[in-house]
Amino acid sequence: MNNSTLTHGIDIAQLGRGEATLCLDDEHLCIVVKNLNLYYGDKQALKDVNMGIPSRRVTAYIGPSGCGKSTLLRCFNRMNDLTDDVHIDGEILLDGNDIHRPSVNVADLRRRVGMVFQKPNPFPKSVYENVAYGLRLQGINSRRVLDEVVEKSLKGAALWDEVKDRLYDNALGLSGGQQQRLVIARAIAIEPEVLLLDEPASALDPISTLKIEELINELKTEYTIVIVTHNMQQAARVSDYTAFMYLGELIEFGDTSSLFTNPAKKQTEDYITGRYG
Amino acid sequence: MKTTSSIVSILNDPIIIRRRHWRMLKDKLAKHAMTIGGISIIFCILLIFFYLLYVVWPLLLPAQMQVLHTLKVPAPTAGETVFLATEEQGEIGVRFTSKGHAVFFSLKNGAIISDNALAPAEATVTSFAAADPAGSVVAFGLNDGRMIVVKRVFDVSYPKNVRVIAPRLEYPLGKDPLRVDDHGKALTRLGVQVGEETHTVAAVTEDNRLVVTQLKKESSFLEESETLQRSSGELSLQQSQITHLRLEKEQRRLYMADQEGYIWQVSLQESTAPQIVHQVRVVGPQDQITSLEFLTEDISLLVGDSQGHITQWFLKRDANNNQILTKVREFDGQKAAITAIAPEERRKSFAAADKTGQVGIYHTTANRTVLITSASDSAIPQMVFAPRGNLLLVEDDAGNVLTWKVRNDHPEVSWSGLWQKVWYENYENPEYIWQSSASTNDFEPKFSLMPLAFGTLKAAFYAMLIAVPIAVLGAIYTAYFMAPRMRKIVKPTIEIMAALPTVVLGFLAGLWLAPAMEDYLVGMFTLLIGLPIGVLCFAVMWHYLPKGIRYHIPGGWEAALLIPVILFISWLSITLSHPLEVWLFGGNIRHWITTELGMRFDQRNALVVGIAMGMAVIPNIFSISEDAVFSVPKHLTVGSLALGATPWQTMTRVVILTASPGIFSAVMIGMGRAVGETMIVLMATGNTPVMEWNVFEGLRTLAANIAVEMPEAEVNSTHFRILFLSGLVLFIFTFFFNTLAEVVRQRLRRKYSSL
Repeated sequence: MNNSTLTHGIDIAQLGRGEATLCLDDEHLCIVVKNLNLYYGDKQALKDVNMGIPSRRVTAYIGPSGCGKSTLLRCFNRMNDLTDDVHIDGEILLDGNDIHRPSVNVADLRRRVGMVFQKPNPFPKSVYENVAYGLRLQGINSRRVLDEVVEKSLKGAALWDEVKDRLYDNALGLSGGQQQRLVIARAIAIEPEVLLLDEPASALDPISTLKIEELINELKTEYTIVIVTHNMQQAARVSDYTAFMYLGELIEFGDTSSLFTNPAKKQTEDYITGRYG
Repeated sequence: MKTTSSIVSILNDPIIIRRRHWRMLKDKLAKHAMTIGGISIIFCILLIFFYLLYVVWPLLLPAQMQVLHTLKVPAPTAGETVFLATEEQGEIGVRFTSKGHAVFFSLKNGAIISDNALAPAEATVTSFAAADPAGSVVAFGLNDGRMIVVKRVFDVSYPKNVRVIAPRLEYPLGKDPLRVDDHGKALTRLGVQVGEETHTVAAVTEDNRLVVTQLKKESSFLEESETLQRSSGELSLQQSQITHLRLEKEQRRLYMADQEGYIWQVSLQESTAPQIVHQVRVVGPQDQITSLEFLTEDISLLVGDSQGHITQWFLKRDANNNQILTKVREFDGQKAAITAIAPEERRKSFAAADKTGQVGIYHTTANRTVLITSASDSAIPQMVFAPRGNLLLVEDDAGNVLTWKVRNDHPEVSWSGLWQKVWYENYENPEYIWQSSASTNDFEPKFSLMPLAFGTLKAAFYAMLIAVPIAVLGAIYTAYFMAPRMRKIVKPTIEIMAALPTVVLGFLAGLWLAPAMEDYLVGMFTLLIGLPIGVLCFAVMWHYLPKGIRYHIPGGWEAALLIPVILFISWLSITLSHPLEVWLFGGNIRHWITTELGMRFDQRNALVVGIAMGMAVIPNIFSISEDAVFSVPKHLTVGSLALGATPWQTMTRVVILTASPGIFSAVMIGMGRAVGETMIVLMATGNTPVMEWNVFEGLRTLAANIAVEMPEAEVNSTHFRILFLSGLVLFIFTFFFNTLAEVVRQRLRRKYSSL
């Protein structure tokens, strides 16, 4: 292993992950965050964040409430633009291009960086139309294409078998877990490069949570997945890399097993052993 | 200090217990108050509904008849009855007989009050005629070509506060018999009308001539006396056998019925030369005319035939502009030959009696058979209504005179009369007309609710046409795109517009907007077209402006930039109005609309109402739909944006869809308001009950009609009750719209609500 460090002086080489070691150096970085500061009015919510998100891996953010992990996640598809009084400096590179450049079309960016929220938010339309929504936005109205993509996406989200007989029923009739998987299907239907999951299972029961986690595992072969979670076991279960944030700062970032078994920072250790959070 | 032992012990403290009881009491009180409030609202609405129904109900009741008195024909030796009559109170009757007697008798007990022989001793009576019932004049034709004209008079006096009615006879044309036929032949059929200045007599003589004699009053200043100027003419009738002769009270036409079932229409434009205008067969091939009477006011003829059909006929212009007798409607209530027809004096109602003793009461305008009952076991040759229409005097072949009390308060109302086209007297075709009263007393009231219902919908339609796009689009922009600080100013400002009294809007519309719009009509239209185009142009221009300028305007405040644009376009439209009018419409667009488009133009028209009432309903629609759009859950819009939707796509595909139940109910509430709105339409429409979609014509709504006519409607009259009926219709209108709106809203909500 190389002796290189990535950010905050974390020695990646020492954060080996058992026999199947993961090393950020070997990874292709999909998103790179450089000196990112974010302010809500006068209040600084993110402080000088630097990090990289590896492609086709699951990266988890953990940290206590209000530490800025959701805010950071929302930076990746510029959802923070919708909030008033937000000021950002620093760079976020998606495949090497700064997403804040004026020439970037926000709608286009969001197509490439999909997002799933904490609360399932299917539209008050049929299951089919929910999944087809993103495609229709892009002007794809061919029935054949839509049928194909809807089926593929629903299968991809492990929902097909449950809803194939009720594709044209209102999506609001599905259960919470099904709705969340529908929302994931909707997100992957437009084949984004990155999938941001903002506490996707926190509103769900344990069985639905399990299904979502299995799904994340399957999806990571095709998508770069960034997940924010309160649940450290979940982070440990599903992610390849984990970042710990505290009070707007990125404290520690590394491959998941080493971060949990052998944290480099005292704050990380305190958090994962339950001393605060 | 004493420390609190535990919460449980505090909970048992009497004060705390009392507070808890008080809390429960408040809870119960609030619950009951709300229940009572809700129930009382429903109760009040039901009360209003049932009160309206209670006032309207008598319109739906059938007429009733009951026998008051049955008498033997008084003084049977005086001859057969040729005409029966009674006075206002229905106490005294009079019987004119075939021997020329007038027998006055009490209707209560049949006592003969007086028996007057009118015919001179040397002559016998050969015919009889009754003039317009209001004049109470009758005439006997004699076998020597002369006639006697008498008028029955009932003097009412109140000695000792008791009403005493004393009948007597007057001779309006002098006591001596008047010469009608210069040849002195017997008069077999007679018609007479006595007017203010002119009297006309028409008679058929035994040698089959029609003789018309006109007497004109000529007064001379010197002698202070009046002389009657006589002119006469005649016409040979050849072999025809005239059975009935009726002279209209205007003395310009007469109608004769013959044995063959034809009616002859004779013009008396020149009294010296009566002229047969037209002959028309009015009964079936095998049938005969058995009865012929004028409906009150002598415009319509009622023809009874041997089959029991009664038909109504009046003059209608044909293709050659000749007035030709035309069949208007038919009543088939009776089965045997019609023996007598008795028109009411003050309404377009009549009674018909047939050979089997059946009596039917009909109303012509309403095309309604009000009642059919058996009045006698034998044929009824004579029948007459008391002037008030509350008594029906019937003489049957068995020699009885029956007094029937008739309770027939609202014969004018029928479903077809209210909601279908009606062929009114003097109209060329059946039409929908609302005209409840006129300058003359005895006209035919026209109670079609269609023009009013139409006007209501038309006013609401134009108001919605203006209000819905502005209010709904404005609401969507305000809720979805506008900067929160600007929204905080805009929304309350528009909502406060709802507090503007509609009477203020009404007089502004009627006294300022209507004349101003007439002046600047072209400007109004350029404004309507120019405003959206101008705004769009500005938006495009804005898009291509350098970013340096654009970034000076904070997001969501762009709408404020439109204010000068709108003001400029308005100013431009008004300024260009007159030049454009000169250039495009030859200087007078009103004239152009009337001649080129063939549309009527009223100053107070549907466009004025549309704008004024639109202004009145915009705040309601805006406020409710703004709330609906604003309350679309954020997670839906965010979810849509996160999928790569543009704000516009999110708005059209998610926001409006989710807010649609709210927007729909906002529109329906606006609609309900526009339908029920009174003051604006009252002041800005001209209140003309016409049925035209033309935007330049006025209208009259149900609500405005009630406001206009209720103060002058006689309480409990048919008109009064029909106004209540129109109120009920309005009530049902709004009830229907609201129910429909609620049902649709619930469905939409079930489909699109995400909460």
